[in-house]
Amino acid sequence: MSKQKLSEMTTIAEILETAVGFERAAEAFYTALIPKVSKNVRYLVEELAEEEAEHVRIFSELAENPDVHAHMADAITRPHADRKFSDAVHTPELGDNPDDQAVLQYALMREHIAMEEYTELAANTEPGPLHDAFQFLANEERKHKAELEAIYYQIVHSGGV
Amino acid sequence: MFSFQPDRSQYPAPGPDGKLEIDLETGQYLKLWQGPNHPGMTGNMSVELTVCGDEVVEGKTHVGYLHRGFEKLMERRSFIQCFPIVCRICVPEPDFNEYCYAAAVENLAGIEVPEYANWMRTLILEMGRFNSYMMAIGGMSGALGLGVVGQWLTYVRDIMLDRFEELTGARIYHMFILPGGVRGHLPEGFKDRMEEVLKTAERYLADVDKVMFSNAVYKRRTKGVGYIDPKLFEPYGVTGPNARAGGVAKDVRKDAPYLVYDQLDFEVPTETASDIWARTNVRRRDIDVSIDLIRQILKKFPKGGEVMAEIPNVLHWKIPRGETYIKGESSRGEYGYYLVTDGSGYPRRVNVRGPSYTHAMALLELLIPGTNISDVAALMVSLHTYPPEIER
Amino acid sequence: MSFKDVLSPFTAWKHVLETPVTIKDPLTREAADRYRGFHKNDIELCIGCSSCEAICQNAAIDMVPVKDPKEGDSGLRPQIDYGRCCWCALCVDICMTGSLTMSNEYIWFDEDPDAFRFIPGVDAKSWDSSEKGYRREGGRRLSGTERVEMREMEPDLRIGNFDEIVAGYDRAEAVLEADRCVECGLCVATCPAHMDIPDYIKTIREGDYEHGLELLYNSNPFSEVCGRVCTHNCETACAARHEGDPIAIRWLKRHITDQVPYDRYVDIVGKPDLAKTGQKIAIIGAGPGGLTAAFDLARMGHAVTVYEEKEKPGGMMRYGIPEYRLPYESLDRDIGVIEAMGVKIKCGVRIGKDISMEKLKADNDAVVLAIGLHLGRSTRVPGSESPDVEKAVELLRRITAGEEVPVPKKVVVIGGGNVAMDIARSMARLQKQRHGEVGITVTALESFDHFLADEEEVVESREEGIEILDSRGPQEVITVKSGKNKGKVKGLRTWRVDSIFDEKGRFNPHYDEGDEMVHDGEMVIEAIGQVSDVSLLGEKLTEALEWNRGRVKIDHDGRTSEPWLWAAGDCVKGPDVINAVADGHRVAQSINQVLVAMREAKA
Repeated sequence: MSKQKLSEMTTIAEILETAVGFERAAEAFYTALIPKVSKNVRYLVEELAEEEAEHVRIFSELAENPDVHAHMADAITRPHADRKFSDAVHTPELGDNPDDQAVLQYALMREHIAMEEYTELAANTEPGPLHDAFQFLANEERKHKAELEAIYYQIVHSGGV
Repeated sequence: MFSFQPDRSQYPAPGPDGKLEIDLETGQYLKLWQGPNHPGMTGNMSVELTVCGDEVVEGKTHVGYLHRGFEKLMERRSFIQCFPIVCRICVPEPDFNEYCYAAAVENLAGIEVPEYANWMRTLILEMGRFNSYMMAIGGMSGALGLGVVGQWLTYVRDIMLDRFEELTGARIYHMFILPGGVRGHLPEGFKDRMEEVLKTAERYLADVDKVMFSNAVYKRRTKGVGYIDPKLFEPYGVTGPNARAGGVAKDVRKDAPYLVYDQLDFEVPTETASDIWARTNVRRRDIDVSIDLIRQILKKFPKGGEVMAEIPNVLHWKIPRGETYIKGESSRGEYGYYLVTDGSGYPRRVNVRGPSYTHAMALLELLIPGTNISDVAALMVSLHTYPPEIER
Repeated sequence: MSFKDVLSPFTAWKHVLETPVTIKDPLTREAADRYRGFHKNDIELCIGCSSCEAICQNAAIDMVPVKDPKEGDSGLRPQIDYGRCCWCALCVDICMTGSLTMSNEYIWFDEDPDAFRFIPGVDAKSWDSSEKGYRREGGRRLSGTERVEMREMEPDLRIGNFDEIVAGYDRAEAVLEADRCVECGLCVATCPAHMDIPDYIKTIREGDYEHGLELLYNSNPFSEVCGRVCTHNCETACAARHEGDPIAIRWLKRHITDQVPYDRYVDIVGKPDLAKTGQKIAIIGAGPGGLTAAFDLARMGHAVTVYEEKEKPGGMMRYGIPEYRLPYESLDRDIGVIEAMGVKIKCGVRIGKDISMEKLKADNDAVVLAIGLHLGRSTRVPGSESPDVEKAVELLRRITAGEEVPVPKKVVVIGGGNVAMDIARSMARLQKQRHGEVGITVTALESFDHFLADEEEVVESREEGIEILDSRGPQEVITVKSGKNKGKVKGLRTWRVDSIFDEKGRFNPHYDEGDEMVHDGEMVIEAIGQVSDVSLLGEKLTEALEWNRGRVKIDHDGRTSEPWLWAAGDCVKGPDVINAVADGHRVAQSINQVLVAMREAKA
């Protein structure tokens, strides 16, 4: 990553808004994908949509937290990986009827980007509830990614006896 | 000095067939049961005596107080399962059963026992013989009222049992010789501890010589009493010290050497008088032979080696059809196992040939008439019989 | 006799001055180190194999349940009755794990006579921690510990052809191996098909092979096949493995089938003399799952037709497993027995194309889906779309079908399971035939400590000159970027795997980007996993069915959410012959119950 400039500052309100938007978009994406995939792999997409819905819920609770609310206007450094938010939402098309492996590969990539993003946001916020929230989310995405990786290897690399 | 000639004038004359007409109604005779619970009996059997005064005119031997049916039990047990049973056929010298049974199985199954196990077996058999004699000599003196020898020798036996315990893991039923070999090696320092036992034994035995064998009363009561005519040895199957006391140097260890006896140097003690004194004396001298043999064995004992041969899985061990007779010289004479197999997982027939069977039943009945009641116990002990091996 | 003899006995009096030899406190006298005292049992080591119970001639030992059974552990533990025990220690000598031992304790007071019947190791006793007591010298001697080695064709003789490698036991070898079995039956519980393992091993000892064959086909119509290629879970549960080698159960099974002439098979297996039910069952897929179900259902009197897409029946047993492991004649013999039961096998028929699912449903009383896992997975790493990248299952199928397959001099295989070994060794044979030498590199994600392929497969592959690299993760299939060979495969780029499991113990490799390797090869074969070709179900049925994480959802009996459809074998349970056989039995049982109920409802 290139060096960051001080001018690249943003507010917490903005960041939260983007993050919620990101998770919403993902949820909507997966929800829309559900009917497109064959029923035998639908469970994967359904699980992914549920996970994203859970993250939206966390952000909503966060925004209502009075401690966070008071700092909404505070400026913080815009994260390095910010650019990837939009990339992740607009990842290449999965096609009409993606199989389980394609869905998993897509999801893995998205989780990876989100994880990096939240990790950096956490690094750029002062210790406090917001910092904790980003830390928590980064951790969530990391766990989620690990979970997906395990599922990926279980499904794809079954070894074959 | 104390000569005693029974006065037979009051007896009715024997009939033409040589048998006495005993009519208890006359009041002349009395039936007296010695045993099965009698300190003068060697274990659970009894002798039904007909006495006239204190003179015994007839004795009938009775067994059946101890019947556990070992031979039959074995027909329903696998070959390995018979191993813990056989030792119970003779309590004071159980190892002979273990050896004979194991050797019989090995013979029919074609198993070669490792050299180390053969030395170990010989050692155990000699230790067992030593212990058996401790009981025999102690019992002999006890039967004549000389209790202290019994106490001393029980102690000596006890310290030998300590050696058994550390070697085999048990004091009485050692269960150490099993088909295929033995269960373990000599423990560390065993030879030294055994030497201590042998030294103690020799010290006590020196006292026994003074107190018992050089005792005027003992001599008087045993010399000339309970004479067995050597002509009877063959028809009555008399073996071991009982035969050796009559001048017949029978000893399986010499006559048909088994285990490692051909590599050991020993003489078979004999006497000629064939009475109680001679029989006991043979045993006393055989103890010295045993002590010497134990020392020889421990000296020549292999440094190490396998204790067991490869044997098939014992849970379904089947032995081909066959029969065999394995014999050895126990402290009481020839001990043998006749084993018949039919190719199944169980012995078809096991017959235990214990010397007590011949010595205590038929022979004793023959020897009793004409003795004094007080000599019956001594006579019986002098035959050195163990009823369990009669009722196998 | 002299005056001396009168005085001599009085010397006994000198003992009055001696210290008494009596043991003053017999209750605390410690027994010898080897003393056969009270029993101890290491409850974690014990597997409840009941050998102690079997050998006890006094019947002093009863096996009682103390924990839940699991693989290789019956959950039973010996309870010893000291009213019967004679302390012969044969139970210690026979113990398969060495868990049962003895302390040198021998004094135990209790008012309650029942207290002397106890479970060592479970009922806590003061001697549980005792270090001393009887130990068997030199390990387990009362039953054999070493497996009879299986004779195999030498590597240089076998590499140029597809001849069967394993020779099979002769009678003497088999009897020796069968002798080691202690008949604990832990294997029966572990075998998916619950074969009567101790019983058929017994028939080998007794030389009653016909009875042995009967027992085999009672529970497994693929006994010839399983005698060669079974994954033998039974051997991992075998009591003998704790101190020595497990019994070679698989080879013993094969030995029985080797000993009985094939023309006796059908007579021995026998066909139950049952009236025809008139009910019809269609089975899709002639693999082990489908054909086992067919075998059972035909024996129950139903009319069974098996539809097979490929040219010949057998499924993965024919098209997946190479001939050097499983000769086609063995498979054909087992299938012959199944056909002799009245099963009709129609090959070259693809359901969904030649006959629709709807028609199958309409024409039959029940349908079984036993389609296996015939599609190979791809890593989808860059370059994997090249035509020189093959999938192992597809290539194996073509080799079996006798189709021409490309055989370059250098081949890279991705995968560490038995399929990877199968394709590597098959290609190695073709390379040997075509080029005179072997040039195969196998790259596996797993490390050798956690390898998926069987140990013997790895050993034999190496003997045949195949290079196996562990802990290598595929990153890219390198292709020629320009020139006339543009697009041709040059090799495989891999990273080293520095850990293969995540913190939850799941397979989840992590790569070390710093350790990169390029494996040269003109062909890359992916052997990483397989998936079911469920396209034959059609969109409508796919929607109607319930699914469980990518597989058709079935209940305990193998029935799907559609009441007329059952599913069995690899497509629902994952790849394994014996599991498929077990599954076949399960659905046959379930279908029969339903069909009987249908008949009764009609009557």
